[in-house]
Amino acid sequence: MPTINIDGKDFHAETGETILEAARRNGFWIPTLCHHPALSEQASCRLCLVELDRGGWSQMVTSCCYPIRRDIKVRINSEAAVSARRGVMELLLARCPESPELRELARKMNVEGTPYPKVTEAQRNCVLCGLCVRVCAERIGRSAIGFAGRGVNRSVAAPFRMPSKDCIGCGACAAVCPVGTIKLRIHETEIEVSPFKSRMAIRRCSACGAPMSGEPHMKQLEEKTPAAKEYVGLCPDCRRKKSAAAFVPVGSKPVVPR
Amino acid sequence: MIVASSKIASVSDLRTYRERLLKARDPKVRTIRVCIGTGCAAKGSRKILELLKKACEEHGVEVKAEAMCTGCHGFCERGPIVVVSPGEIFYQRVEEGDVADIFRETVMLGRVVERLLYREEADEDGGRGKGKKGGGKGKTDAEAGNGSAAAGEAKKTAAEIPFYATQRRIALAFNGIVDPTSIDSYIAAGGYSALAKVLDGMTPEQVVAEVEKSGLRGRGGGGFPTGRKWRSCREAKGSPKYVIGNGDEGDPGAFMDRSIMEGNPHAVIEGMTICAYAVGSEQGYIYVRNEYPMAVEHLSLAIRQCRELGLLGDDILGTGFKFDIQINRGGGAFVCGESTALMASLEGRAGEPRAKYVHTVEHGLWDKPTNLNNVETYATVPAIINRGADWFASIGTEGSKGTKVFSLVGKVRNTGLVEVPMGMTLRKIVFEIGGGIKGGRAFKAVQTGGPSGGCIPAKYLDTPVDFDELTKLGSMMGSGGMIVMDEDTCMVNVAKYFLNFLRDESCGKCTACREGVAQMVHILERICAGKGEKGDVERLEALCRLIGDASLCGLGKSAPNPVMSTIRYFREEYDAHIVERKCPAKVCKGLFKYAIDPKLCKACGICKKNCPVQCIFGEKKKPHEIDRTKCTLCGTCYDKCPFGAVLKV
Repeated sequence: MPTINIDGKDFHAETGETILEAARRNGFWIPTLCHHPALSEQASCRLCLVELDRGGWSQMVTSCCYPIRRDIKVRINSEAAVSARRGVMELLLARCPESPELRELARKMNVEGTPYPKVTEAQRNCVLCGLCVRVCAERIGRSAIGFAGRGVNRSVAAPFRMPSKDCIGCGACAAVCPVGTIKLRIHETEIEVSPFKSRMAIRRCSACGAPMSGEPHMKQLEEKTPAAKEYVGLCPDCRRKKSAAAFVPVGSKPVVPR
Repeated sequence: MIVASSKIASVSDLRTYRERLLKARDPKVRTIRVCIGTGCAAKGSRKILELLKKACEEHGVEVKAEAMCTGCHGFCERGPIVVVSPGEIFYQRVEEGDVADIFRETVMLGRVVERLLYREEADEDGGRGKGKKGGGKGKTDAEAGNGSAAAGEAKKTAAEIPFYATQRRIALAFNGIVDPTSIDSYIAAGGYSALAKVLDGMTPEQVVAEVEKSGLRGRGGGGFPTGRKWRSCREAKGSPKYVIGNGDEGDPGAFMDRSIMEGNPHAVIEGMTICAYAVGSEQGYIYVRNEYPMAVEHLSLAIRQCRELGLLGDDILGTGFKFDIQINRGGGAFVCGESTALMASLEGRAGEPRAKYVHTVEHGLWDKPTNLNNVETYATVPAIINRGADWFASIGTEGSKGTKVFSLVGKVRNTGLVEVPMGMTLRKIVFEIGGGIKGGRAFKAVQTGGPSGGCIPAKYLDTPVDFDELTKLGSMMGSGGMIVMDEDTCMVNVAKYFLNFLRDESCGKCTACREGVAQMVHILERICAGKGEKGDVERLEALCRLIGDASLCGLGKSAPNPVMSTIRYFREEYDAHIVERKCPAKVCKGLFKYAIDPKLCKACGICKKNCPVQCIFGEKKKPHEIDRTKCTLCGTCYDKCPFGAVLKV
């Protein structure tokens, strides 16, 4: 089992585990934006940089994807590591000066502002972390959105920036977005995944009528989980009530959801 | 040409095949080699080849002659190039009208056409006078140039020309000699003998050891020891293994890989096949830019010929060794020259790099062990196998062995493709091979390593060129681009140009490169527009450090190099822009003024007529003047003046 030395202290690590995992397990905080435990690593936000000691020289590595394969020594809070992360955050703040979520993360890193002007255009504070793209491809299996454009023109979009037929309106992209770029908009009869312009019929809870998700998403759920079919059409509240009703104490009167 | 009825069945059959080819050659046949490399082809060499072929046919009774195409000869400045053998008579700047003379005089009568021979030009004007008129060939330089000294003496063969005499060709050895469209031509010249040697008794381990011993380092930019890479890939667990040739040359002004793929595709294939044998691979890919149609065409043809002869496929030379190559065309993204981005592109995904904490020799293409080298690296391998690692290691410097191909461009007299031993000084390359600076201007800097390289000033001209020395100077070897700049170049503007290129070509995946380079461009544009602020240089330096530390891939990490090196060596130019609001080289518009030299002004009135703000005044037959208070510094008068009387001051 390899040992990881973080800021002078030794910890056990699992072979193949990332620096970030080992550090977090041992109570170290490293900021991240493009990392999500359920998704593959992209290492694109560069916020999780730590200094890897190479013996005589050091190198900045992204802790989210650096696998521990032998004994290593890293510095999370060295001057170089802190200033690299600060620099990256300042660049992100210059891109999205209005994002409250990003400013909050910056404050946590003791970064108060940015010395840089805004030179790149971000669609509604998008930091291009790519979590939405990966969740759509890896977890939902739809790949309805992807990266469009190159360099400073990079953005997240559906093909040709048209409403995508592959989008099922599940809202996973909105749920995973760290800066609130992607929003689900509930209209009268439709649900819209903004800013991707895809709209589809909304499914409401069969019991209470509360808006739930896009129709194609609900159909996919029904297909994937045939056993729980009667639950799928219910909103979380009604689902809970239905489950509770099944566990009524012996002798008492069952409560039927309305 | 011998039409192979079947595949070459064994190593000894390859030898017999070659002997048959050589025997079938009539020593009395005169060969005319016409360069169809991209530079010469752009100047019409394909038409010249066609005319020569026709002439050979028409006069077949009187003289036995054969016209053939070859790849780039390297001396692109003097193209189109035609070489007539026997005698290896080297004709340069050949035009369609010269074909008849060459054929009649040299091919039929064995005489030399003096006016087409190479002569050193005393002034930069010699070429220009000739280029303008098709028939103005007979002019000497003294006539064409404005009173320049007489031209140097005529050189009959390439070997006598200083441009070639100082070079040493290994990767380019067959360029300009073999016909890139004919496998027979390559085999006759000794091609595939290295592959035969490898398959006829060398173990994969011996091949790896030989390449390791040669000290060959990757020619694509990183300079990683090739042998060590092969060994890692050979020892990596996993199957199948892949071999990739990187021909996605994207540096502005670079054409080394292009010329090799166009001019000698079989060398790349042979090198890759040897590599495949060494690492244990059965499938190879060559990733070529789609902007190199001739490279794609020649490589495809070469692969087809190899399959027909059994030099690629299931049972290579009857040894049971199996290997095949597929060509993939790149869509023009600079970043796809980066190994992981290239592999992503090969897999059909967007060409974006990934973190290389686990190397591609272990987890590369489709997560399998993959050996990726530049095509120039592969083209060097057959020579190493044939002549031995010790021979190769005897060339070059301590840390960098062998030779390196450079594309020498910019303000030098002899632009073109050069191959020199590692360790040759920059001075020798620029002034001896390159012939010095055009137009008698002074040398200012040479930019090596493409857009992510650095600018090296005159005081380091005596630095030996190898991987480590260039890195020490804050530049890099890169893939071998070498852009020479003269005193009229503004170094801040150069840095801005390269950073602009890198901003446009950044894939945008990681924050540091995407946002950081854009911030640097913003500052550089401000400085060049005369709006620089105090502290801009320090801001640039801080960004350089950040981008170098925090970027994901090598392209991002090296992106600050042009700025870092120009600040390091030309800090005073940055200060002049920021503090004095002046561009010392008078390149950045707005940071210098225009004036009319009363002695040169002929009062023609062209400047006055073209000035968009009517700020030039002057009567007939009297020198004109510019009203500085109204002048918008647009530069129209400077461009329009036929007498060069408008000056930048």
